[in-house]
Amino acid sequence: MAAMSPSERRLQKELMSLMREPPPGVHVDGDQAGQNLTQWIIHMEGAKGTLYEGERFQLQFKFSSKYPFDSPEVTFIGGNIPVHPHVYSNGHICLSILTDDWSPALSVQSVCLSIVSMLSSCKEKKRPPDNSFYVKTCNKNPKKTKWWYHDDSV
Amino acid sequence: MENKPSQQKPAENTEVNQDELILQQQRRIEKEISESIALVGEKEPLQSLEREYLEDEVYLSKAKTLGQKYSYIRRTRPDGNCFFRAFSYAYLERLIDIKDEFEKFRELALKSKDNLVSLGFPEFTVEDFHDTFMEVIDKVGAGTEASRLELHKLFNEQGYSDYVVVYLRLIASGQLQREADFYQHFIEGDRTVTEFCHQEVEPMYKESDHIHIIAMSAALGTGVQVRYMDRGAGTEATAHDFPEGVPPAVHLLYRPGHYDILYP
Repeated sequence: MAAMSPSERRLQKELMSLMREPPPGVHVDGDQAGQNLTQWIIHMEGAKGTLYEGERFQLQFKFSSKYPFDSPEVTFIGGNIPVHPHVYSNGHICLSILTDDWSPALSVQSVCLSIVSMLSSCKEKKRPPDNSFYVKTCNKNPKKTKWWYHDDSV
Repeated sequence: MENKPSQQKPAENTEVNQDELILQQQRRIEKEISESIALVGEKEPLQSLEREYLEDEVYLSKAKTLGQKYSYIRRTRPDGNCFFRAFSYAYLERLIDIKDEFEKFRELALKSKDNLVSLGFPEFTVEDFHDTFMEVIDKVGAGTEASRLELHKLFNEQGYSDYVVVYLRLIASGQLQREADFYQHFIEGDRTVTEFCHQEVEPMYKESDHIHIIAMSAALGTGVQVRYMDRGAGTEATAHDFPEGVPPAVHLLYRPGHYDILYP
């Protein structure tokens, strides 16, 4: 077997840890990620007592060979994109740790936790105000968007 | 009403294209920079600094005065990580010659991981960077002439060099958070120390300011002297010691937005 690159080694380690000790409501598709380490699907459940209770979502993580120095590309995919002021209807997420504030000390797990907490603190289900314009004009890769971060309290 | 969307559309599209163009240009510039400048360069006589400013009186006179106090400069890649890269290179280079200080530092580095974990950093990712950090320290720790070559080689391999930068960023962040009450006074705006660390210390490529240097120097107990070279009055690049009164183990040159290493 060919030697793993540092980025693959790190992803492998993260995958094992996420399968062994997933945060509540988070479940990684281990078979799929094991086949292709650079693209993972993560299933997420809306937390109890929040506006998203009972809903199920899917997140797609894509990793470049520069991971963890480059942030992962993270989008909601599938039939149910959460209706949230920071989530566009095409699945793009406006979350600063996914671009400007990414640090190599963060991980898939910490991104999942941030997204769970972003959903959980939501008080009103609605799309971002510029949703229809953004979805029509944006790049397929959300990391290519120059985000203007709204306040994190929503 | 019918007309509105079509009227707006061209303007909106320009806006998006601008965004895209700016980003493309930014990436192109970053790539050019990284291809032309080594992560850490060779030692150059200080005259090479003067040659940069033949047309610029203010900087030229400051470069000349600097030449009376320092013999060499070692340039680092201007990628926003330059303070951490320059600092760690210069400090490890110094420790090659000073055995007992090296041992003390190694001890501190060894324990630093547990300190970070106890502050709430994820063990899992910290461990990765700590392992590589220790590997670099041990590879240059032999204290021979070969150590210098090894240090230079490792710091120019992105895989090692950036791991060291990340780990130092974590140590600096840990220091700030451990003494958050104190450092809070230095943070402008209404960010907490933790927010500041997440946004300005831990991410790669974020530039360093006084507060980063203070934290780094305090965390490792290392004196740092920075010479500030800018358009300010006078013919000398002002020296600033971190912390004050401690003899510097590392000498750096600051020009707006960038740090290089100086040798007395």
